[in-house]
Amino acid sequence: MASVTLKNIKKIYPHSGKQKKGEKKTNLQVTDKGVVAVQEFSLNIADREFIVLIGPSGCGKSTTLRMIAGLEEISEGELYIDGQLVNKVPPKDRDIAMVFQSYALYPDKNVYDNLAFSLRLKKMPKEEIDRKVREAAEILDITQYLDRKPKALSGGQRQRVAIGRAIVRNPKVFLMDEPLSNLDAKLRNQMRAEIIKLRQRIDTTFVYVTHDQTEAMTLGDRLVIMRDGFIQQIGTPQEAFEHPANRFVAGFIGSPQMNFFDAELIQQKNGDYAVVLGDATIVLSSGKQARLSTKDVQPQSVILGVRPENIALCEDGGNDGNQARICGTVDVCERMGSAAHLHVKAGGYDVVIVVQTMDKNGPTQADFAMGQSIAFTFSGSVAHVFSKETEKNLEF
Amino acid sequence: MNRSKNGIPGLGWTVFFSILSALYMYPIVMILLNSFKVETAISTSTAFQMPTGDSFAGFSNYIDAIASKGFLQSMCYSLLITITSVALILLCCSMCAWYITRVNNLLSKAVYLLCAFSMVVPFQMVMFTLSQTADRLKLNTPWNICVIYLGFGAGLAVFLFSGFMKSIPIEIEEAAMIDGCNPLQTYFKVVFPILKPTMISVGVLETMWVWNDYLLPTLVLDIKKYRTVPMLIQYFRGSYGRVEMGPMMACIVLTILPVIVIYLVGQKHIIKGVLAGAVKG
Repeated sequence: MASVTLKNIKKIYPHSGKQKKGEKKTNLQVTDKGVVAVQEFSLNIADREFIVLIGPSGCGKSTTLRMIAGLEEISEGELYIDGQLVNKVPPKDRDIAMVFQSYALYPDKNVYDNLAFSLRLKKMPKEEIDRKVREAAEILDITQYLDRKPKALSGGQRQRVAIGRAIVRNPKVFLMDEPLSNLDAKLRNQMRAEIIKLRQRIDTTFVYVTHDQTEAMTLGDRLVIMRDGFIQQIGTPQEAFEHPANRFVAGFIGSPQMNFFDAELIQQKNGDYAVVLGDATIVLSSGKQARLSTKDVQPQSVILGVRPENIALCEDGGNDGNQARICGTVDVCERMGSAAHLHVKAGGYDVVIVVQTMDKNGPTQADFAMGQSIAFTFSGSVAHVFSKETEKNLEF
Repeated sequence: MNRSKNGIPGLGWTVFFSILSALYMYPIVMILLNSFKVETAISTSTAFQMPTGDSFAGFSNYIDAIASKGFLQSMCYSLLITITSVALILLCCSMCAWYITRVNNLLSKAVYLLCAFSMVVPFQMVMFTLSQTADRLKLNTPWNICVIYLGFGAGLAVFLFSGFMKSIPIEIEEAAMIDGCNPLQTYFKVVFPILKPTMISVGVLETMWVWNDYLLPTLVLDIKKYRTVPMLIQYFRGSYGRVEMGPMMACIVLTILPVIVIYLVGQKHIIKGVLAGAVKG
């Protein structure tokens, strides 16, 4: 158990011989020194906190985790574990444990020896090693596989062994690099629940890397959302979902993805902010009004974001003043079981709407036909307004 | 294998491989048969005749081969050279391949290319300068010749080890580092055991080469003092063209026996080791 502090961490990979200077394959910044994989990364991870680093491939989340582990050198900045500067401390002396995406089990050793390996290196007494190994095996329900070699285990069992290898060390910090991404969907759900239970049992500091937002939302106390080597937002899963800091976070968190429209932010005669989308005018909620007023946001062209779950279908064409009616035609209807994802063409946009097709009494919604005309609406409390220039949320 | 429609192997292939097998086997069969014949019964016209009552010599040729020319001493030299050379090749070349695979710099690339290049340089090109150099560096004894064998064996061994090493995920070594291993411990406790199939395959190939080698020890060793088994066989050719055919045949059988046993035991691993790293598994 320990706190982890990252202060202005930067990772630069020097130009390789084959790579030409100025050649840009990703959106990462390229300098004279090399490709900047992570920069301006500052984060305080509290003791016993579960932090999830999330972002698309190549955003620098695994690099950051590997820097915490000591497997990558830190180009600039300071890393503290439990208050101690560890930039130059080798991985074995950082008192951390890591679970890899590919399990990284020792193929020639059986499960028992895999679990006992680090303890034997510490020259721990045999009885204590045996006790710790059996305890970890008990927690992870792998006692019956202790004599087996990794090749004789299924993917889920191998992942448990990999986690067990970390548990036996009783580390200060537990690092996990996409540990569930090699498992099938069913096993991933099962293992996710196992990790939640495990966290309650071993109660230590976790840093977890994933690109799966379901894992991030369900496991993390706080999320660190990254893109192109930069932190985009740090916050609880609910904060990231309800108050995204910018358009990227809004689009990345939530499934299906948030709908975005080009709109105009106006101030009405009474000073209230409203968003004009085509013929519709949506007055923003009082909370949003207050935040925009505090920041003295001027009327401007904006990007309007609305989550598919926050859009409602109009049955009677009603307009209560805060809501606006937008018409469109159904393009595709994806049936997901208890809900349907409607892809609607409206005003040149492809709008996704989540429609619940099931409640406690059974099916509630009839089928939607391709080309069918519908009208939808949303309230001012669920509208997110982003700057067109900076793509930042104007409320922050 | 080419098969006809009803699943029976093509007759042509069967005949071809049968002839090929016979061609491979005939010298071994001939030597084995003649090693049990008395000297006078060994001639080119009767080479493939089974030993009869008059011509059967029992194990006398074997006893003669072992007793007359210092066979046991030669066997010890051959064993010493083979064991030290193969052990050195396995240890140094696997470590070198580990460095080449894991460290991506100019030196590692140069070492790899050098090793690959050494495989295509014919021994005859370097043998005279080598014998001079070996004399100067005092590498002309059975205890030191392993250094020369290391040099000549490194090409193939590094090539095979590198191929396999590339298939080992680097995360395994990283996990070992986090578990508390220093680089040497990572190599001996984690990488070395994983290399076992390739170790066996390289070991068998190098053992067969060093054990059977005639030219290098003849050029390098002081032949008055040290004779390996392949060198000893020559000493059954006496002066004025006289050849002790019976003991010579017996000596050859005794020489090839260990190689055949090692090959049969390690055969499975040779194929595994050579193919390792060639395909993604």
